[in-house]
Amino acid sequence: MSFDWNEDDEDFFAGASFKPRTIEEDFAIPDDFANLGGAAIIPQDVVEETPFQQLIRHWMNERHAPDILPAQEMLLGRLLDHIRKQTDDVQLLRADPDSSEEEHFRITLVQTEIERVKFVIRSYIRTRLHKVEKFARHISATPELHDRLSKAELDHAKRYARLEETHYTSAVLQGLPPDQQSLDDNIAFMPPMVTAPSKTRAVFAHARQDCPPVRLPDGSTLEMTKGQISLTPYHVVEQLLAREEVELV
Amino acid sequence: MNTSTRQYGDLATQLIQESRRSTATDTLLKYNDVLVRTIVREQRQLESLIQSALSNQDGLDPGNDPMTPTVLLYQTAILRNKRCLLAYHHHRIERLKDLYWSVGGALPLLLSTHATAPSNAANMGADATSAPADIRSKLSPHEVDFLRSYNASLLTFRSGVLATEEVDLFAPILKPPKDLHVLVRVVLDCGVIQTEVGAIDFRRGQRFMVRRADVEHLIVQGYLEEV
Repeated sequence: MSFDWNEDDEDFFAGASFKPRTIEEDFAIPDDFANLGGAAIIPQDVVEETPFQQLIRHWMNERHAPDILPAQEMLLGRLLDHIRKQTDDVQLLRADPDSSEEEHFRITLVQTEIERVKFVIRSYIRTRLHKVEKFARHISATPELHDRLSKAELDHAKRYARLEETHYTSAVLQGLPPDQQSLDDNIAFMPPMVTAPSKTRAVFAHARQDCPPVRLPDGSTLEMTKGQISLTPYHVVEQLLAREEVELV
Repeated sequence: MNTSTRQYGDLATQLIQESRRSTATDTLLKYNDVLVRTIVREQRQLESLIQSALSNQDGLDPGNDPMTPTVLLYQTAILRNKRCLLAYHHHRIERLKDLYWSVGGALPLLLSTHATAPSNAANMGADATSAPADIRSKLSPHEVDFLRSYNASLLTFRSGVLATEEVDLFAPILKPPKDLHVLVRVVLDCGVIQTEVGAIDFRRGQRFMVRRADVEHLIVQGYLEEV
């Protein structure tokens, strides 16, 4: 499936066949996901990222970052529109009795690629969903985080936080004496009861361009040049990641 | 209660051990209502002990008061028990959520008392996590409520996300799809299903080559088996 956005509908209807480039320009998901980092960090100074490559990047960032990252609603919307269009085109072509054997083969390839793009989208949404649930109570208590979530995610976070509290209350807390019923005790020497993302977790950051220096926890500074990969605590590269200057690998 | 062989917190430790066992063996154990109740009783007892200790304390400087260590001890026991209770319940919720996702969000299947598909699914071995038989009996009523509300919340979420029509949120995300089609063997009758090549009546024992996306949910729920 091509994510070449210049391609217009007329191509499909006029010729009733795929241009070869539709498949060649394809950015396939490698079968072996361990290699995916390798595929995605190929320097792309010449070619601009296709939306699907962007999605792959955001998907990997999301999977590696301990914190929840801003939702990519626009990007998802564009990809989904494109999937929808491709699916319709495929339907049309399949229904066409004139299409040749070779074209059928191409249709199959396009269909497979559609499934694979859907897989990444699904995985991306599920990864975010997992974080939303894990940090539900932290999210609903921290308004600054709300902008990073889509409306559906935020609503789900609030619902889930309430759900969790209701469950604990009815299963445990209501049986306890009144003084012990709170769910957010903050006691010295005990970890907090609201799960918050651990920003000190180590991540591998790959510089997509030359980055301005960042301060490391020990006071020294780190200046990453393009292509460099560093293992740092997440909070060090948090800003760079937000500006899309690095990607997590 | 406070005999030589048992001290405050022992019961809570048992509870935590149960969670650990559950993780280690990857099974959902039966909800230990008795133990939870006993610990809650211990909590009330500790609370009354602490109250009586505090009432003896009248107005002395806490630093010099001989009762302070006593109060601290009770306090620590209370906090620890509470954390253990919550941890136990949290752990169970996470397990239930895993189960829920492993059957593709098919809540009725998960909660069905008659182990129809699940018992076979367990025999299949390929996907042993998909709904071990009779989960319902291992749940506390609160947990059933939780799952229901969770399911409802997710369905609302799904209808709110852009992706809904095109992307099945509940499909598995473990392996990326490699082929468009898949050869399946029917393990359990599942009636007439609409596929891209028309309606197919899946009968036990038959084999079909079908589009993966059309039957993904049936594979996950154990009706079909990949050959």
